[in-house]
Amino acid sequence: MSFSLRPYRFGIFSHLDTCLGAIKQLPGDGFREIEVYSPTPHHEIAHVLRRKPSPVRVFTLVGGLTGLIAGWAMTIGSTMIYPIIVGGKPIISIPPFGVVAYITTILFGTIATFIGFLINARVPQVKIVQGYDERLSSDHFGVLAYCLPEEVVRLEKLLKKLGAVAVTGSQGL
Amino acid sequence: MTEDYNLNYTDTDIDLTQSLKAPGRGYWLLLTFLFLLICAGGYAWGVQIANGIGESGKNNPVGWAMYITTFVFWVGIAHSGTLISAILFLFRVKWRAAVYRSAEAVTVFGLATAGLFPFIHLGRVWVAHWILPIPNFGGLWPNFRSPLAWDVLAITTYLTASSLFFILGMMPDIAIVRDKARGWRKKVYGLLSMGWQGSDNQWRHYTAAYVFLAALSTPLVISVHSIVSWDFAMSVIPGWHSTIFAPYFVAGAIHSGLGMVVLLLIPMRKAFKIEQYITLHHLESLAKLIIFTALVVGFAYSIELFIAWYSHNPYEQAIFLYRMTGDYAWAFWLLITTNVFVPMLLWSKKIRTSIPWLVGICVSVEIGMWLERFVIIVTSLAHDYLPYAWGLYKPTLIDSLIVIGSFAWFFFLFMVFSKTLPVVSMWEVKEQIEPPMKSSH
Repeated sequence: MSFSLRPYRFGIFSHLDTCLGAIKQLPGDGFREIEVYSPTPHHEIAHVLRRKPSPVRVFTLVGGLTGLIAGWAMTIGSTMIYPIIVGGKPIISIPPFGVVAYITTILFGTIATFIGFLINARVPQVKIVQGYDERLSSDHFGVLAYCLPEEVVRLEKLLKKLGAVAVTGSQGL
Repeated sequence: MTEDYNLNYTDTDIDLTQSLKAPGRGYWLLLTFLFLLICAGGYAWGVQIANGIGESGKNNPVGWAMYITTFVFWVGIAHSGTLISAILFLFRVKWRAAVYRSAEAVTVFGLATAGLFPFIHLGRVWVAHWILPIPNFGGLWPNFRSPLAWDVLAITTYLTASSLFFILGMMPDIAIVRDKARGWRKKVYGLLSMGWQGSDNQWRHYTAAYVFLAALSTPLVISVHSIVSWDFAMSVIPGWHSTIFAPYFVAGAIHSGLGMVVLLLIPMRKAFKIEQYITLHHLESLAKLIIFTALVVGFAYSIELFIAWYSHNPYEQAIFLYRMTGDYAWAFWLLITTNVFVPMLLWSKKIRTSIPWLVGICVSVEIGMWLERFVIIVTSLAHDYLPYAWGLYKPTLIDSLIVIGSFAWFFFLFMVFSKTLPVVSMWEVKEQIEPPMKSSH
């Protein structure tokens, strides 16, 4: 289990609608910093949380552009160093080198996208968040809300009131 | 697809993790049989390495034969996976959710099998690294004007992109298995799941990465087999030097790939009792795609003949006449029948919803597509410009064993996958099921 510096409470909900009710209610009660866990992505959750668009797209763009440049550099650079005419074609043959640049664009773009995902989604993670319930990957929903040490009890009661079937969490370090 | 599945989240996990239970005797027997075939293929390759490439039936003029035929066949098989997983995802085709994991596995394992053949075909496999773009290593420099160099890059890129897409798609499902497993399995699946927890933050980046990987993989469906086709079309060999080759190869690749996916899904859904997830509707949808690809392939065959006739090029006309009436005419007519005419039976709903018929037709497509590549490769080399240089190719035991071994290798990988990783995407099936709600609608 991984440990958080700040205390939090993890409410486990067996229904999506009660989970949505909780994430709508919690900010109004002063608990603005929340994370939601679900077995599958839900537009309703994303709509309520209103997170920024994922920066993974930037990784894709940068990776793709790097691949495009690398493809041209590799083909043109190598033929400039050893300028051997093959098949009567020009030393710098744009159409065939374009094929290589196209492939490296996709190759670098793909790898960069995956790396972007790993970095932003914080995976691989050796330890799972403390309080994680094994039902969360299957058929339950989780709401993790951070709080001040003196608010732990109030948060716990609030989560139960909002329909959490179990509340766990960490006192922080 | 909510209307298709009368299920809930809990049942989905229970049903779709059944495939990971300890296998029975039949599974082990089949796996052992495949392993023995792989060993036979490995032995044959060993003999070829020890004694030289002459052990295969390759000769002058037929220098590309069974190995390149089978290489192109396996690259083609790989294509349906990306079509189903990436293109149908971008078009939001819902029925793909139940079948795409297996199709992706077909892609990855198809490429892993195809990737062996350039090494087998090289003969002197110990200098295979010369093909890599290492500056002037061994006195060689890769010729980037050659489609063979593009091919190496294209296949490597395709394998990389498909593998990453495969791994990414499976991560949430492996986390489900981790959370249900106990003991050493929990540790293993814990490592494989990379600590996935399904937080909204993870899903946000996950869905973004998934879309971009799908978008990046989509052009590969078109480009990889186009580049493979240019291995032939960029040469001046009669029967190869044709602008139709790229779309013709791509359609053929998807045709054979879809057939293979159906062939693997049918026993899998039965063995793992997941007929309610991989339904007849899914198989029927794939069958409809096979009708479409059969029509495209048939159109390409007829256009090829038309171009040969219309061009007034005597060499083109001669090679197509040779294909239809020469030494390999049996293969030509068999491929036309099995690839084009037999799949037309699928127009009948009764046939395309009948499991035995589907199996028979898909086997027919696989035989036809392998023969198509064989006919293209062997006939053109056997019968090119100069009559004194004509020759024939006959497979030997060595190259036959290697090809059979490659089939065993593919099915072996698929069988291991089917017992160790979730064969149907649970999180995507759940996306199409009504989530658990307290207030009923």
